[in-house]
Amino acid sequence: MKVLIVEDEPKTADYLERGLREQGYVVDVARDGLDGKHMALEYEYDVIVLDVMLPGTDGFSVLHALREQRQTPVIMLTARDRVDDRVRGLREGADDYLVKPFSFLELVARLQALTRRSRGQEAMQLRIADLQIDLLARKAWRNGQRLDLTAKEFALLAALARRKGEILSKTTIAELVWDVNFDSDTNVVEVAVKRLRSKLDDPFKPTLLHTVRGMGYVLEVRDEQGEDT
Amino acid sequence: MKLSISKRLAAMFAVASFVMLAVLSIAMHGLLKRELERHQSNELHARWTMYKPIVVRNDDVEHWQYVRQKFDNSISENNRVSLWVQGGDPHFVYGSPLTDEQRHSMGANGFGQVRLPGHEAPLKTYSAEVEAHGERPAVLLTVGIDSTPFVETLQAFTVGLIALTVVGALGAAGLGYYIAGVGLRPVERLSREAQALSPGYLSRRLQTDTLAPELSELADSFNGALSRLETAYQQLEAFNADVAHELRTPLGNLIGQTQVTLSRERSLTELKEALHSNLEDLERLRAIVNDMLFLARADRGERAPNRVEVSIAQEVAHAVEYLEFIFEEAGVKVRIEGDAQASIETSLFRRAVTNLLQNAVQHAPRGAEIVVFVLQQPGAIRVSVQNTGPGIAREHLSRLFDRFYRVDSSRSGSRENHGLGLAIVRAVATMHGGTVFAESESGATTIGFTVAA
Ligand SMILES: Nc1ncnc2c1ncn2[C@@H]1O[C@H](COP(=O)(O)OP(=O)(O)OP(=O)(O)O)[C@@H](O)[C@H]1O
Ligand SMILES: [Mg+2]
Repeated sequence: MKVLIVEDEPKTADYLERGLREQGYVVDVARDGLDGKHMALEYEYDVIVLDVMLPGTDGFSVLHALREQRQTPVIMLTARDRVDDRVRGLREGADDYLVKPFSFLELVARLQALTRRSRGQEAMQLRIADLQIDLLARKAWRNGQRLDLTAKEFALLAALARRKGEILSKTTIAELVWDVNFDSDTNVVEVAVKRLRSKLDDPFKPTLLHTVRGMGYVLEVRDEQGEDT
Repeated sequence: MKLSISKRLAAMFAVASFVMLAVLSIAMHGLLKRELERHQSNELHARWTMYKPIVVRNDDVEHWQYVRQKFDNSISENNRVSLWVQGGDPHFVYGSPLTDEQRHSMGANGFGQVRLPGHEAPLKTYSAEVEAHGERPAVLLTVGIDSTPFVETLQAFTVGLIALTVVGALGAAGLGYYIAGVGLRPVERLSREAQALSPGYLSRRLQTDTLAPELSELADSFNGALSRLETAYQQLEAFNADVAHELRTPLGNLIGQTQVTLSRERSLTELKEALHSNLEDLERLRAIVNDMLFLARADRGERAPNRVEVSIAQEVAHAVEYLEFIFEEAGVKVRIEGDAQASIETSLFRRAVTNLLQNAVQHAPRGAEIVVFVLQQPGAIRVSVQNTGPGIAREHLSRLFDRFYRVDSSRSGSRENHGLGLAIVRAVATMHGGTVFAESESGATTIGFTVAA
C-alpha cells in the first residue's frame, strides 16, 4: 500500500510518516504544494493525504491538478473548521476529509476505508483463536459454545474482528456500530465493551478484547505478560 | 469623476433656476413683442385716419399741390413716417417710386411692410383705398412707419433677459453650494466622530440627539451596528478567556506529568503508562478544541448546510438507541411523545438530542422515566427532554447554555463534563433558525430547543 503525504508542518509530517510506515504503508512525503503536485502526478499511489494550507500552491489546486489526470483517493486535512473548505474539498473530488486536530487512529481508519473500497469481497467467516464468527448468520462461538449477544454487541464484535489486531478508536467504533458521525463524549462505547467483555472474555481464556488507554480497543491474541489493563 | 454633494446640489440648483428663468424670459419676450406690434398697428391706423381727409378734400389737379405740400411737411417734421398715394392717374400720386416687389410686400389693403434703402429694419405699413371724388380717381393711401425703435427695444430687452437668466443661474449655484455646505455640516461632524471610533473605545457611539431626522436614522442604524459589534467583540474576549481557562488544567497536567516522568530513569511500563495518561489528556484537549471550533461556526452565523426533510421522532429514536446502554446502566426508561416533519441536518440534530439525553440521564434518579416531547408549533418544531431529579435553581437557568457553565462549579475542569453540552445544543438550534429553553419546577427539569419548521 503506497501513500503520499503532502504536509508542510514538519512535526505532523514526521509523525504521520513514521506512524503509517509502522502500519505497513510505503510512505512518501512532500513538504509543499509544488512538490506534492509533482509527486502526485508523477508516481502511482494508492491514497494521498493532502493538507489544505500549504506553501507554494494550496491543497485545492493540488487536488484540482490531480483530478484532471488521476482518480487516486484523496483525504484532505483541513485546519479551519469551515464548511466551505470541506464542501469545496469534496466537490472538487476529495474522497474524505479530517479536521485538524485529528487523531492518528482516525486517519488510519479512514485510509483503510478508502483503500478497502477497491479491494474485493471479505470473508463471511472470521476466526481468532477459539473465537468463531459468522457474519452472515450474525452468530459467534467461543470454544464451540454459542455466545448470547445482543445485536449491538454482535455489531461491536464484528467491527473489531474485521480489523483484528488494529486499534479502533471510540469514534470509529461509534461510527461503525451506531452510525454516529458526530463527536460525542458519551461513554457508550466503554459500556458496550464492558458488556461484550463479560460475555466474550470473562468465561474464557485467553483474553481477546484489549483496551489501549487513550487510543481505543483491539481484538487480538496477546502474550499474557504484555497485557494492558 | 465623483462630485461632492455640495457641488452636485449647486449644479442642480443652477440647472433648475436656469430652466425656470429661461422659460420666464421666453414668455416675457413673447408678451413684449406682441404688445409692441399692437402698439405699432394702432399708430399706423391712427396716422392713416389722420392723413385720409387731406386726400379726400383735394379732388382736382390744382389742389393736389396742397396734398404734396402737407405730406412733405409731415415727413420732414417726423422722419419716421413715409407716405404714398398710388393710383391710375399720374396727376394724383405721391411718394418715392416703388418697385413691384415693394408694392407687393405692402399689400393692397391692410397691414404690410416694405424694405427701403437706408433703413435697417423694414417699414411697417397700412394701406387702404380712398374713394374717387371730383376729378380724382380712387387712390391707394399707404402710411409707413420705421420699426427700428421697436426692434431695438426688443433686442435690448432680449439681451437683458439672457443676462438675467445666466447671472441668476450662477447665483443660484453659488447660493446652493453655500446652503448645501451648511446643510451638510452635521455629516462632517458625524464623519469626524466616526473617525474617532476604535476598538479601544468600544462603547463610544455617534451623537444623534442634535441631528436632523434623516441623519439621525442613519446614525441610529450605525450605532446599532456598533452595538452588535461590541457584543460580538465582548463575546470573543470572554470566549478567549474561557478557552484559556479550560485548557490550562489539562495543559498543566501534561507538562507536569511529563517533567516528572522524565526526571528519573523509568521502566518501560512506567513510560508507557505516562504516555497513555498524556494521551487521555490530549484527547480531552482535542475534544474541547473541536467543540470550540464547532461553536465558532454557529457564532459566525453559519446555517446548517446539509438539511434533509425527516421525521423528528425517528431522529430522536436514533439518538435514544445510541445511548441505550447508558440508560440501562442507569436504570432509566425513555419515552418519545409526538412527531413532526422538519428539514434538519441529522448529524447536528442527533448530537443536540444526545447531549440533552445525556444530561437527563446524569441527573435522573434510578428507575425514573425520561420523556422526549416533539411538538409541532406554528413556525417551529419544539424538542424537549424532561427528567425528574433534583432540579436546577432559578438563578442558573438563564446561564445554562453558556459555554463552560456548570451548575456545580466545583466540577469545573472535570474530566467528564466540559460544560459544553448545552452550548452545543444552542449552537445547533441557532444553525437551524431556532432557540433554546430550560424550565425546572417541582422536581421535573425540561430542557430543549426548537428548529425552524
Ligand atoms: N436535566 C438536567 N437536570 C439538572 N441539571 C442539569 C440538567 N441538564 C443540565 N444540567 C446542568 O447544566 C449544566 C450545564 O450542562 P452542559 O451539558 O452544558 O454541561 P455538562 O453536562 O456539565 O458537560 P458536558 O455536557 O460538556 O459533558 C450542568 O453542569 C448540569 O449541572
Ligand atoms: Mg452535558
